[in-house]
Amino acid sequence: MSGADIELKDVRKAYYKDRLEIPVLDGLDLAIRSGEFVVLMGPSGSGKSTLLHLVGGLDSPTGGSVRVGEARLENMNERELTAWRSRHVGFIFQMYHLVPVLTAAQNVELPLLLYRMSSGERRQRVTTALDVVGLSDRMHHRPNQLSGGQEQRVAIARAIVTDPDVILADEPTGDLDARTSEEILNLMNLLNSEFKKTILMVTHDPKAAQHGERIVHLDKGVLHREELTAARAGARA
Amino acid sequence: MTITYVLMQNLRRNPMRTLLTCLSFALPMGVFVAAISLIVAMVKLNALNAAQLRLAVQSRIALVNALPERMRAEIEALDPDKTRIRAVCGVRWFGGRVQNTPSVIQSLGADVDTFPLVFDEIGWTDAERESWAKDRQACVVGTNVAEQYGWKAGDRITLESSVPPNLALEFHVIKIVTTEGRTNSLYLRRDYFEESRRTAGFVTPGCNLFWLKCSDLAALRALQAEVDPRFANTPNETKTMDENAFMANFAQAAGDLPGLMRAIAMVVVFIVALVAGNTMMMSFRERTRELAVFKAIGFQGGRVFRIVLAESVILALVGALLGIVPTAAALLAFPLKRLGFLPLSSLEVSPIAIGVSIAIALLVGVVAGLLPAMQAYRLNTVAALRKIA
Repeated sequence: MSGADIELKDVRKAYYKDRLEIPVLDGLDLAIRSGEFVVLMGPSGSGKSTLLHLVGGLDSPTGGSVRVGEARLENMNERELTAWRSRHVGFIFQMYHLVPVLTAAQNVELPLLLYRMSSGERRQRVTTALDVVGLSDRMHHRPNQLSGGQEQRVAIARAIVTDPDVILADEPTGDLDARTSEEILNLMNLLNSEFKKTILMVTHDPKAAQHGERIVHLDKGVLHREELTAARAGARA
Repeated sequence: MTITYVLMQNLRRNPMRTLLTCLSFALPMGVFVAAISLIVAMVKLNALNAAQLRLAVQSRIALVNALPERMRAEIEALDPDKTRIRAVCGVRWFGGRVQNTPSVIQSLGADVDTFPLVFDEIGWTDAERESWAKDRQACVVGTNVAEQYGWKAGDRITLESSVPPNLALEFHVIKIVTTEGRTNSLYLRRDYFEESRRTAGFVTPGCNLFWLKCSDLAALRALQAEVDPRFANTPNETKTMDENAFMANFAQAAGDLPGLMRAIAMVVVFIVALVAGNTMMMSFRERTRELAVFKAIGFQGGRVFRIVLAESVILALVGALLGIVPTAAALLAFPLKRLGFLPLSSLEVSPIAIGVSIAIALLVGVVAGLLPAMQAYRLNTVAALRKIA
């Protein structure tokens, strides 16, 4: 298990509404080391989620280049991007988005259906992923039988079950109380420190941001400023 | 776990909606399988009838108007060499019913000398022909009628005519007919019937119909063109049809049931396609975010397309089976063969009808699921995920 480095060069992204160009990212440069935990912050409309989608191959830049590990995403078509995502990226969303009719284990197994893998091997991977997030005793529960924090843990297990290089989290604690948020963020730290996953997390919460190593502030589509988090700065000192 | 399992679980997401959607397929599909069975039965009957090379000559005004007996000789005179007409058989409606029962048996008096020739497909033995010729009270009974009343060859039965003078006559069953298309009829000797009518004061003999057995198709077509002009401008103008046309007219006297059923079924199936399409669209809209997550975690657009389409097809198939199986079971358990009127009486479960109904259900499932499946395929993952945030 290891992460991948990420490099964005002069990335531009614009959306069009009624033929009107709405620039979201405007010549952004950003480099993230393999195994780094970077937090994206900024006001609404600053381009945080767009950046996350570009790194995750969910969207393509209007200009510039996006490299994740060996993959140059700006050169890939949608089909190639989808295939690449299934191998290299794990997504965590604010609202978890588990399939309500499947159990926790089945939700975690979902991305593995895209792999040629025996059912025994799938089961093994699911058990491991749920064990990592501390939910091996809830594997046969459906989402409506779990708390919000537990649902997010299942979503994290789903994100890591394919052993991706990069984990992209879009406000993963936005819908959770303070205590549960802390548990989820500690889990993200574990994935980063123990499994060396490269993590890119969007959040509005300054306290949550302190769980990362570096905070990147975006404003109006450009990198406004960067800072090391207190914990990491202290560690370096 | 497999994709199929995920699909089946999706159908359990809203059990009430799934049930109602299935039922909205089930009811029209039940009607559909019955309608198509009827059409299949008609096609089969038509093929049988066409092979018999028979022409029906009736009054141009209405079938109930009797034509004079002498017209038989006049029809026979159209073919003095007897190369085109094998035989002509006059037939008169008797409409008998067993005493104290409500249903009228499709019973007809037929000419003693030519009936076995004109209706040779019913498989006469020499002994049966002899009995028919010698026994004035002889009658041949279709197997459905015989089963209904528990009759067998050799029985003596009494039938009361439903037309004036409402004679109650005794008959002697000499043959049970199993030939398809003749199983709901009873034929008696017209001479015995006419004599009894005369005794009751009804002195004018006549026939509702003359059946002409032709030697070949060319003769049939030629005679069809000759008979009506022969009686034109006489008090007894005729209408000559081949057997299929006659049966179609006869069926329409009871209403064009197959046509009506087909029309209703088509309309209902069309409505069901719209309802199912709407349901699938609702289901898709409810799950837009979930499908976006599917795509985000690596499901290709084509796979998501197939998942949504398969869900629609499964719903349609389950619904169709819910309609087809009970209809087929009901037709097997309560056959309509005892109903006198063809082709309704020949309605039975047809494998073709079941196959066609399943194919139509599949088609409706595909049509209903196509739009939501296309939308799922084209779903902009980013836009759908933005709705989340």
